[in-house]
Amino acid sequence: MSAKNEKKFNVVYGEAVGAVAAHSFGEPSTQMVLRTFHSAGIASSVVTGLPRILELVDARKKQQSPLMTIRLDKSYAKNYEKAKQVKAQFEEVLVKSLLENFTEDLKNVTMVLEFDKEKLAQSDLTLKFISGKLQAKFENIDAEQEGHSLKIKYKSKKEMKSARTMFVNMRNFAVKGLQGIKKATVQQDDDGEFYIITSGSNMAGALDIEGVDKEHLYSNDMFDVLKVYGIEAARNMIANELKKTMDEENVSVGFRHIGLLADAMTYGGSIKSAGRHGIAGNKASVFARASYEETVKHFVNASVFGERDPLKGVSENILIGKQINVGTGRIKLAIKKEDLKKVDAEK
Amino acid sequence: MHINADKGRVRKPYILMENGKSKFTPELREKLKTREIDFNYLVRRGIIEYLDAEEEENVEVAIDEAHINKSTTHMEVDPAIMFGLTVNSSVYPEFNNAGRHPVAWNFMKQSQGLYSTNFNDRYDARSYILFYPQLPLIDSITYRTLGLERHPQGQNMVVALSTYYGYNMKDAVVFNKAAVDRGLGRSAFFRSYADEEMRYPGGQQDHFTLPPPTAEGYRGEHVYSRLGEDGIIEPEMDVKEGDALVGKISPPRFLEEQTSFGIGEEKVRDNSVELRSGEQGTVDRVMLSETIGATRIAKVRIRSIKIPEIGDKFASRQSQKGVISMIVNQEDMPYTKDGIVPDMLLNPIGLPNRMTYGHMLEMLGAKAGSLKGKKFDGTPFSNNGAALVDEFGSILKEYGFDEFGDEEFYDGRTGRKFKGKIFTGVVYYQRLWHMVSLKLQVRSRGPVQILTRQPTEGKPRKGGLKFGEMEREALIGYGASLLLKERMLDQSDKASVWICRDCGDIGYYDYIKNVAVCPLCGGSSLEEVEISYAFKLLIDELKSMHILPRVRMKSD
Repeated sequence: MSAKNEKKFNVVYGEAVGAVAAHSFGEPSTQMVLRTFHSAGIASSVVTGLPRILELVDARKKQQSPLMTIRLDKSYAKNYEKAKQVKAQFEEVLVKSLLENFTEDLKNVTMVLEFDKEKLAQSDLTLKFISGKLQAKFENIDAEQEGHSLKIKYKSKKEMKSARTMFVNMRNFAVKGLQGIKKATVQQDDDGEFYIITSGSNMAGALDIEGVDKEHLYSNDMFDVLKVYGIEAARNMIANELKKTMDEENVSVGFRHIGLLADAMTYGGSIKSAGRHGIAGNKASVFARASYEETVKHFVNASVFGERDPLKGVSENILIGKQINVGTGRIKLAIKKEDLKKVDAEK
Repeated sequence: MHINADKGRVRKPYILMENGKSKFTPELREKLKTREIDFNYLVRRGIIEYLDAEEEENVEVAIDEAHINKSTTHMEVDPAIMFGLTVNSSVYPEFNNAGRHPVAWNFMKQSQGLYSTNFNDRYDARSYILFYPQLPLIDSITYRTLGLERHPQGQNMVVALSTYYGYNMKDAVVFNKAAVDRGLGRSAFFRSYADEEMRYPGGQQDHFTLPPPTAEGYRGEHVYSRLGEDGIIEPEMDVKEGDALVGKISPPRFLEEQTSFGIGEEKVRDNSVELRSGEQGTVDRVMLSETIGATRIAKVRIRSIKIPEIGDKFASRQSQKGVISMIVNQEDMPYTKDGIVPDMLLNPIGLPNRMTYGHMLEMLGAKAGSLKGKKFDGTPFSNNGAALVDEFGSILKEYGFDEFGDEEFYDGRTGRKFKGKIFTGVVYYQRLWHMVSLKLQVRSRGPVQILTRQPTEGKPRKGGLKFGEMEREALIGYGASLLLKERMLDQSDKASVWICRDCGDIGYYDYIKNVAVCPLCGGSSLEEVEISYAFKLLIDELKSMHILPRVRMKSD
């Protein structure tokens, strides 16, 4: 490697960056376990500390506290009333939250939704609006208004199962606001600008709302980020969230180690967890996979598919007793001393 | 109304009050002293009452006469009984950090002393006897009640709170060589070995005897040279590791094949008891007896003298432990203007963090006591701290010492006087049974496990220290590939295996025909390869579950 490149990366050829990152990550994490469970009394709805780190590293689809931080456009940011209006568009209002009662008649594939008058008034909604929304979202339905009730009939085939799932989905439908956003609050920063924090993440929906600063939209849900902004953004989000959580616990880990982990989780174009279903489970070597978890499964599958293990990795080489391909073992002799003499003689 | 009269609930005695005064009058106290009355008399007369934890909630207890007020209903018999054995076992515990008391108690458990006066007749598996145990200069009511006066477990040592050229960093202590030579902390270690003449089904039996050289597993004449005619070692014999203590022959492990010559000479196997590895000593006592099942048993007790050496552990009754890091010649130790050389140098940094003020108070008190020839009482709450310091100070002054226990010291190595004064006193130190001579272990070569061919683990098996997964990861991270290979292969389970070039299965070398053979394909084109034996085992195991791994080789 040239001196120029070496300076650029600041890592020596053959350096076991992964192992070093794991060490740098693992050692302070053990201290975190001790501390997080001792900070009793601080009731916080946001998951932090080791549980959060595990959530990120395991790439959980359903994380415990998804959050969005929404900055507002300049014309909205200084005005509290306007900010509140934007906020109102976020909070989801589910159909079931407005109901007083409902009855399903699966034989005739109809459902009667009895709405609560006061709740409708509170949310500033009319039955007409709701029936319009429902008809726009769900196909093949008829909505008939009767007093404070809405009679819904499934027009297509009299299939009970699909009707039932649709009725359930219908009750969980957000007539107002964004799907998945349970709560939104307006906050003020040190500069006096208002911004919104939501519990729940729906970036695609947030981008459609007027007044949202589209360049400063932030979510801590990696799959939402992946869906809307792509894998690079998700990688940065994972790394930043890890760093943030570590900083909150006063644990300092070099960012390159965290970045490496985020890279390893995302370089394939999708988010992979660090466990046996992700990075570790997708290793090339049979022996490396078998020496981690589910030994028998990997050996049996390898035998069924006639897998070959080229012995390129670290773990398998230690197992059979070969010099590993890392560090000093990375450098191979290009030409023997005797052969060099021959070359010199030819010259 | 809540009546709780559970069997076994814990209760504690209190003195009752009458008209704002203790019912336990000075007259009764006098009578009790002269043994005219006893404790039960007081309980029967309603002077002392037993309360349980729930009753305690509704009474007001005065700690002593001075604290009695209008609402007081009961008085403590003695403030010290509010603590259990743990706290009461140390002296001046009320001056120490509460968290240190369990630690101090733990150290007391581990102390070597005079655990039993009939130790000479006992065959304990392990026992330790201090050569010159002393009574502490500071003791307590509990100490005397427990009968510890008859079972002392330490010695009063002259301790200076001083560093010594960095040799007593952290909890290390420096000892005076002359004091050790005079017998300070010297003790005897006894270990008993037992063996029995077992009977086996089929009428076979073990025999205590000198094993014949024909016995299976005979270890050579020198091993049995100290055994007597009966096969049991003679008393006062010096023995070293591996020496047989009880010669015993047992019938063979497996049933013998019948030889064509009929029943020949019965084969026997050597099953003697040998001295533990790494130990040595003198045979102290031998006992021969019989079990209930009428089989003979032999017990041999080995004695070895343990002189304090670098690495041995000591602790005071105030949870201050330390390991000897250096034994310094007396002439190199610091000495006072009176020519007193301390037995022990303790680093003062051990004190502030642990907040064991009792340790310093003991130093001062025992120093005053040793000058005056008097023992002091360290029962919890029996003294006032400031008054104690004054009392000890006046005694020290009386004998021409600094009233705070500080001494002027001269460096034994340079002869120069130290700038500051050094706090010096006497502390009751216990020698704990963690001694290097029983723990030291080294290995360069040695036994391996049969199954994995990896080195054994543990001291009795002459094992190595495990180079575990975390250590392995550390070497990977450092990139030391050859060191890693040495640890994982060369110094562990390196094995030479013949592998077939054609089918990739493991073969063997036929030394009779002088050719390598592959049992799978029958070929003879094999290559000798060095792999870890664990890998060979893995291949075998995979084969046993119908998976055939084939090894393909590439020449360098």
